[in-house]
Amino acid sequence: MRSFLLQVIAVTSINLKSIAQRRWLSLSTVIAIALVVVVLLAFLAMANGFQRTIAGSGADDIAIVLRAGSQAEINSTVARDQVRLIEDGPGIARGTDGKPLISPELYLVVDGLKRSTKTKANLPLRGIGEQGAALRKGIAITAGRMFNRGSNEVVVGKALLREFEGFDLGSTVSFGATRWTVVGVFDAGGSVFESEIWADLSVVQSLFNRNNFVQTVRARLVGPAALNGLKSYSDNDPRLKLEVKSEAAYFAEQASQTSDLIQKLGWPLAIAMALGALAGALNTMYSSVAARATEIATLRAIGFGGFSAFVGTLAESLSLAAIGGLLGAAATYLIFDGVTASTLGGNFTQVVFDFKLSPWLIVEGVALALIVGLIGGLFPALRAARLPIVAGLYAN
Amino acid sequence: MNDFDLVRKNLFRRKLRAALMIVSILIAFMIFGVLAGFYRAFTAGEDRAAADRLITVNKINFTQPMPIAYFNRVRAVDGVRQVTFANWFGGYYQDPKNFLMTLAVEPATYFDVYRSEFDIPPEQLQAFIRDRSSAVIGESLARKWGWKVGDRVPVASNIFTQRSGGHTWDFTIAGIVKGKTEQVDTNFLLLQYAYFDETRSFGKDTIGWLILQTNSPENNDRVAKTIDAMFANSTAETSTDTEKAFGKAFAAQFGNIALIVFLVVGAAFVTILMIVGNTMALSIRERTREIGVLKTLGFSGARILRMVLGESVLLALLGGLPGLAIAALITIALRASLANIAPAFAVSPVIALEGIALMIALGLITGIIPALNAMRLKIATALGRG
Repeated sequence: MRSFLLQVIAVTSINLKSIAQRRWLSLSTVIAIALVVVVLLAFLAMANGFQRTIAGSGADDIAIVLRAGSQAEINSTVARDQVRLIEDGPGIARGTDGKPLISPELYLVVDGLKRSTKTKANLPLRGIGEQGAALRKGIAITAGRMFNRGSNEVVVGKALLREFEGFDLGSTVSFGATRWTVVGVFDAGGSVFESEIWADLSVVQSLFNRNNFVQTVRARLVGPAALNGLKSYSDNDPRLKLEVKSEAAYFAEQASQTSDLIQKLGWPLAIAMALGALAGALNTMYSSVAARATEIATLRAIGFGGFSAFVGTLAESLSLAAIGGLLGAAATYLIFDGVTASTLGGNFTQVVFDFKLSPWLIVEGVALALIVGLIGGLFPALRAARLPIVAGLYAN
Repeated sequence: MNDFDLVRKNLFRRKLRAALMIVSILIAFMIFGVLAGFYRAFTAGEDRAAADRLITVNKINFTQPMPIAYFNRVRAVDGVRQVTFANWFGGYYQDPKNFLMTLAVEPATYFDVYRSEFDIPPEQLQAFIRDRSSAVIGESLARKWGWKVGDRVPVASNIFTQRSGGHTWDFTIAGIVKGKTEQVDTNFLLLQYAYFDETRSFGKDTIGWLILQTNSPENNDRVAKTIDAMFANSTAETSTDTEKAFGKAFAAQFGNIALIVFLVVGAAFVTILMIVGNTMALSIRERTREIGVLKTLGFSGARILRMVLGESVLLALLGGLPGLAIAALITIALRASLANIAPAFAVSPVIALEGIALMIALGLITGIIPALNAMRLKIATALGRG
């Protein structure tokens, strides 16, 4: 057993040392595998970053009320009378003054200019109720102050400020004929709210001519379990019949559509490229076996087993793949991790997000590389193990 | 035996190696074909946009409404040949997941403005105009749901509510609209604005956007400026742009798709360039002696160069052409499911030509260094080696 192991170790080390003799072919395999991993991980990091930004925005103990079937805040309408009925609904937490902690909101789309491309982009202008900011976790004004109720003032999320022009603190922005002053910038813990513009609900209602309705109502629940009570309250009142969801569930749905799409693009592309790299890996490894035919035959002739030749070839292939996989992961991390991008989200407005690589994604990338290495090494390794000794000795 | 036979025999001397090269080239060109086809279809709206068509939207954003009175005011502007308008309906069929691209339009003017795109039998258009609660559907939508003229379909809105309550409107299909060319997207349902406006519970007398056709593209700028000036300082200011510019700006909102396509195709090509380039070099090196023999027989350096380049170009074509063919099959298979974002998804003749040019370029690049080495090879060295 010991001698068997020593054989395997000896042949493997000969194999690995011989890589240098085929450096260009081996290098092309390493780079091909690295590129496959870069393509896969760039897409997965994009999907992951988008997912984290949106799905991380919702809370379990916040209920969001929308018109049935509307799917997104932008489509929804909730009438004024319905807002009053929701205020009286069960399970809604109340402040020290006894008022229900709810925020009726309007969600409008306004044009902004994207800094990188100078093209028009849809940005959300959210009119929030008195409790609006308090109903979201981790809202902090990082510059300036909160808008005053009843005035034409807005505060902007810091991601929006970074990606789009014209929202610097103190500047005046016009939405059509209306003029607004940017009085503050807020941090929302990396959530989707950082891509929004916030203003006082009543001012947005009157300036945008939407006096009789809002679009959604957010309510703080006494606990996540209170959601069902509010749901059946809405279902049983013919004047309501609205869709009641936890904010967490709402954002999870919003996130999944786009991030699923990105993943559905990334995986097939990466797998197709992996097949191309596999052809390269097979070619490299067959060349390796051909180049070492005499050497393998010599080893066999002096008593080495076929299995050690098999393991040696497979180890060479797997190490090339592992180097390629790690190189690809490192390159993705250096080039893409933390890169900011924005795209249209489920609400038809721009969502700013960062590409985000995670340890699990890196594992997926390296695993794909190793699969290429395994298959790419397996058949050449079988050939190495079965090489007839006599033919091998006369190979050159 | 002519030179081509020699090239072919050389290429397939190591069958497995040639097959592996062909597979990796095939995959790169398959990726190229699919992504180039997608990008072309995704941006097709820009290329197809008529030069004399303008879009007027609310200056705040194109999702904000405008008063319907703008229709008649724009119509009176000098240089405008025809105007029509549309309103987004937010349609779906039965389940909100079954999105239907639904617009409320003014039938007569709509089909006049889009006459270069859409074909509808005159009697069906008349039926649509006559019956207020009817709708017309595009050919590809009709195919998707199997709807025929005369069918009654319930269309729900994720935005609007009927005055009588409920989110669903029932429409009789009055006609089926065909696209005049392959690239025209016909995955839509059109209903009558007048009926929609009368039955909806809010938003009355407002429209989404105006589409206008100018007398000549030369007038575009002047007409656009006149319209926007006309509504300046009103409660609904406008922004008028060419259809092409509007479509381009909208596509840009999804992100830099061009850059993503370029990077992925680039990565695929760098991969095969390295693999094929190195393998060609290896296989020519293995044949050094033979090249020496050929030269001894009187083959000129230029002829050897041509033969090696011929081999690498042949390899690229053998991999690339089936790759493009597979890409074409993939686009056909995915066309229906991508109809909303990339109508007429296909490997167009232009893409096929670009692909063939790339194959020849790839063949020349991967073959040039081994070919030059082979050309310069001295007989004595060649025969002396190995």
